[in-house]
Amino acid sequence: MTTAGSILQGGLPGYILVAMLLLLIGLATVLCRRSVLVQFMGVELMLNAANVALVAFARFRGGDVQGTVFYLFIIAVAACEAAVGLALVVGLYRHRQSTDTDRADALKQ
Amino acid sequence: MFLTFALITLAGAVALVFQRNLVVAGLCLVLSFAGVAGLFLLLGNPVAAALQVIVYSGAIVVLLLFVIMLLNEHREEPALRPRPLQRWLSVLVTVAMGAGAVRLVFHSALLRGLDRGGPPVPMALDRLGVALFRDHLVAFEAAGLLLLAAMVGAVSLVKRDL
Repeated sequence: MTTAGSILQGGLPGYILVAMLLLLIGLATVLCRRSVLVQFMGVELMLNAANVALVAFARFRGGDVQGTVFYLFIIAVAACEAAVGLALVVGLYRHRQSTDTDRADALKQ
Repeated sequence: MFLTFALITLAGAVALVFQRNLVVAGLCLVLSFAGVAGLFLLLGNPVAAALQVIVYSGAIVVLLLFVIMLLNEHREEPALRPRPLQRWLSVLVTVAMGAGAVRLVFHSALLRGLDRGGPPVPMALDRLGVALFRDHLVAFEAAGLLLLAAMVGAVSLVKRDL
């Protein structure tokens, strides 16, 4: 079966392609947008791309359980990152009345 | 079915890049996460799909939307100065890496070798529990400690006078 046919029928290359494109869209969000909240959403997208790749590889290894275990740990770390990251955003907004990264490019106020 | 969920995922992500309103951007993120949950279902992993809906499009996005509404700032501020070079450079880098990713997937013999068909084996919760609590118990406890530390850190960061 060709790669294109495999992608159309939901084979492994299709999932890997979706994961890679999701990672790149997340990267584009972080690079192009100025609001730190939207950049945070981009980071979440990149974490999700890793999850898609993990679960897809696990399924094509015959339902390997390790992929889902790693997915659980990634979710735990993502929850920590969300809590601390959003607390930092709230702190930044209190200091500068802005969530724009261009307006917060120095440690000193 | 795969194409539907893949397109939902990627469309939500692309809409997030171009959306100016922060609340609508958060809802685009929910769309993308829902597409990923559908992909997990197609991969025969209902556990991961349920966790995706509960933790990502439930908890994390709700927290994010609460912070957006708390900050009382629903759209991006006008740029202090235009940065055309950086903007075009980032677009160029992303497009180049995207082309590289497509080329990689289409030409990788290794990936094609891993692509064995057959119906997916559904992920059973008991197998996951055994693997988690027998083989990864230390990592599980460490994750619990990490969550506690993050919670304490978030509270101490946000609280004005501790």
